[in-house]
Amino acid sequence: MHPVERVLRTFEGKETDRVPAFCAMVEGRTYNEVLGKPLVSQERLLVNPVATFALDRWGPLLTKLVFQHEVTRSMEKRIKAQVELGFDAVWAILDETFIVTDHRTMVRFTGSRYNLQPDGYGNMTYMYREPCFKTREDFLEWPYWPDADDVAHSAYRFFSAMMKKYGHRACLFGQASAYGIQESLLWAVGFERLPLWIRRERDLVKRFIEINEELCLKTNMALLDAGVKVVIQTDDFAFKSGPIMNPRLIDELFGPSYRRIIKAVHDRNGKYVLHSCGDNTLLFDTFISWGVDGLHAYETTSNVDIFKEKELHGDKVTIIGGVGVDYLLTDRSRDEEVVREVRRLIARLGPSGRFIISPVHSLSTIPAHKLRVMVDAVRTYGRYPLSPALEEDAA
Amino acid sequence: MNDSLRLVCEAVDTLDIDGIRDLVQRCLEEGHTPEEIIEHGIGKGLDLVGKKFEAGEYFLADLVMAGEVVKEVMPVLKERMNPVDAPRRQKVILATVEGDIHEIGKNIVGIILSANGYEVVDLGVDVSAGRILQAVKETGAGIVGLSVLLSTMVGGIRTVVEEAKAHGIRDRIKIVIGGACTSRALCEEMGADAYGENAMDALRIVNGFSENA
Repeated sequence: MHPVERVLRTFEGKETDRVPAFCAMVEGRTYNEVLGKPLVSQERLLVNPVATFALDRWGPLLTKLVFQHEVTRSMEKRIKAQVELGFDAVWAILDETFIVTDHRTMVRFTGSRYNLQPDGYGNMTYMYREPCFKTREDFLEWPYWPDADDVAHSAYRFFSAMMKKYGHRACLFGQASAYGIQESLLWAVGFERLPLWIRRERDLVKRFIEINEELCLKTNMALLDAGVKVVIQTDDFAFKSGPIMNPRLIDELFGPSYRRIIKAVHDRNGKYVLHSCGDNTLLFDTFISWGVDGLHAYETTSNVDIFKEKELHGDKVTIIGGVGVDYLLTDRSRDEEVVREVRRLIARLGPSGRFIISPVHSLSTIPAHKLRVMVDAVRTYGRYPLSPALEEDAA
Repeated sequence: MNDSLRLVCEAVDTLDIDGIRDLVQRCLEEGHTPEEIIEHGIGKGLDLVGKKFEAGEYFLADLVMAGEVVKEVMPVLKERMNPVDAPRRQKVILATVEGDIHEIGKNIVGIILSANGYEVVDLGVDVSAGRILQAVKETGAGIVGLSVLLSTMVGGIRTVVEEAKAHGIRDRIKIVIGGACTSRALCEEMGADAYGENAMDALRIVNGFSENA
C-alpha cells in the first residue's frame, strides 16, 4: 500500500496493511546524519565576526535576503531526511515567521522574541526569550504584523515544489508559517500576563486571534491547493501536569477559530492534525468537538495516558505519538529498547486502527540511527493482522 | 470571620481583580490592620485557590491570576504596615539552571510564593551554580528552587548540590527542584531535598521547610 493511502485510510478508520509511522520533524543534527554534513556549518556561517557585524547592523534587511534562504533550505532538508528515513508521513514545515534583529535575536512576526544560538551540533537553533507585547502600546505599535496573503503565496510556492519532489514518496503533513493561535498569544504576551490580558485587554486578544486565524486559514488553503492532504497545526494547550487554562475558557476563546479553520480544511477534503504538548487529558473532548482528525503527541514525560485515550477516543480520532524522546530516541538507549517499545505500542494501540506511531516531539538530540531502528521495527511488527506474539508485549 | 474580611477572601478566591481594591480599602476604613487583612482575607482566599487547583477546578492560569489579584492590593497594604509589626518573611531563591532559559514554571512558583508572603529572589534563567550560591550567601536564603525543562541540562542541579557542599553551605539550604523533565527519582539521583510537581506543591514544600527551620 502506498504511504499516502496508508495514512489517509488510517485517518478514515479503514483497514490498512500496517500501522503507519509519522516523523515529528527532525532537527539539524538528525538531518545532517541522514543527508551528510554541509561543508560549512550553520554555526560557522552565522557566528563569525563578519556575520555578527552584518546581522547587528542590517538584521531585518538580511533576513529576507540571506537568513530566510538558509532557513528554507534547512526546511527542505528536514523533509528530505524524514522521507529518506522511510517514514510514511513526515512533518513538512515552512517557517517564514522570523525577523533577525541582531546576531543573537529573532522576533516572530506575531510578537515573540527568541535567542538565536548554536544547538551543540554545529547548527543554529532558537529558544524562546520573552514576549514582545508587555503593554497595549507594544501591541498597537507592532511593526511586523504579517500580510497573510504574502505568507500564503510563499507557502504555495514552497509546498508545490515539495509535493513534486517528495509527495509521491510520503504523506506530507504541512504547516506553513502559522503557529497555534493560543500558543502564539501566550508567547506574545507571556504566560504571567496572559490571564490579565484575557481579562483586561479583551479587545486586543480578540484582534490577535483574528489575525492568527486569518493566517492559519490562508496558509492552510495554500497548502491544500499545492496538493498537501494533511494539515498539521502546533498549539501547545497544556503543560506537563494539565491544561494551561480552564478548558471552557480555551473553547470559548479559541474554539470558534479552530472550528472555522478545520471546517475549511475538511471542505477541501483535507485532514487536520493538532499537535499539543503536555497532558491534554481534560482537553481531548474539546479538540474532537472542533473536528480534528488526528491528535499528536501524547507526551511521554507528561501525565497523559495514551492507552486510556485509545479506549476513550480511539474510535473518534487518530492517535499519533507514543515514542518518547527523553530516553528512547537518544544516544543513551539501546536499539532493543526502542524495538520493544514499538512492539508494545503497536500491540496495545494498533488493534482497530486509527493509530499512527510517532516520536512525541522533535529534538536536536535525536540520532538518525534510532529513528531508523524505530521505522524498521514498525515495518517488521506493524503488519495487519497483528501477530499474536505482540500480545505478550501488551500484557 | 468579619464580613469585610470574608469579602476580601472571596475576591481572591473568585479571582476578582477589579473588585479587590475597594474591598481592601473598606477593611482599612473599618479599622482592620494590614496584617489582619493579609492573614484572614488574602491568606484564606489563597488557601481556597490552592484547594480548587488541587481539585482540578482551577488551572495554572488561575494561579497566576490569583497572584495578580494579590499584587493589586499589596502596595496599599505594605504602605500602611508598621515595619516593626511586619511579619519576617523567609527568603527563597529561584533560578533556572545554567544552559536552560525556560522560565514559565519558575515564574508561576515565584508568583505563588510571593502571594503567600515569601520574599522571592528570582535570579532569572541560565544561572550558574556560582551565582546561585553567591546569592545564598548574600541574602541568607534558606531555600533554593531550581527549575529545569531540558533533559540535557539536569546536570545543572547536581552542580549546585556539589558546589554547595564544596562551599560548606549544603546543610543550611534546602534545594527544591521542578520543571518538565524533573521527577522524584531525579531529585534523589541529583541529591536535592524535594521535588515539586507544580506550583502548589512547591508552596507546600516551602511551607514545610519554613516551619521546620
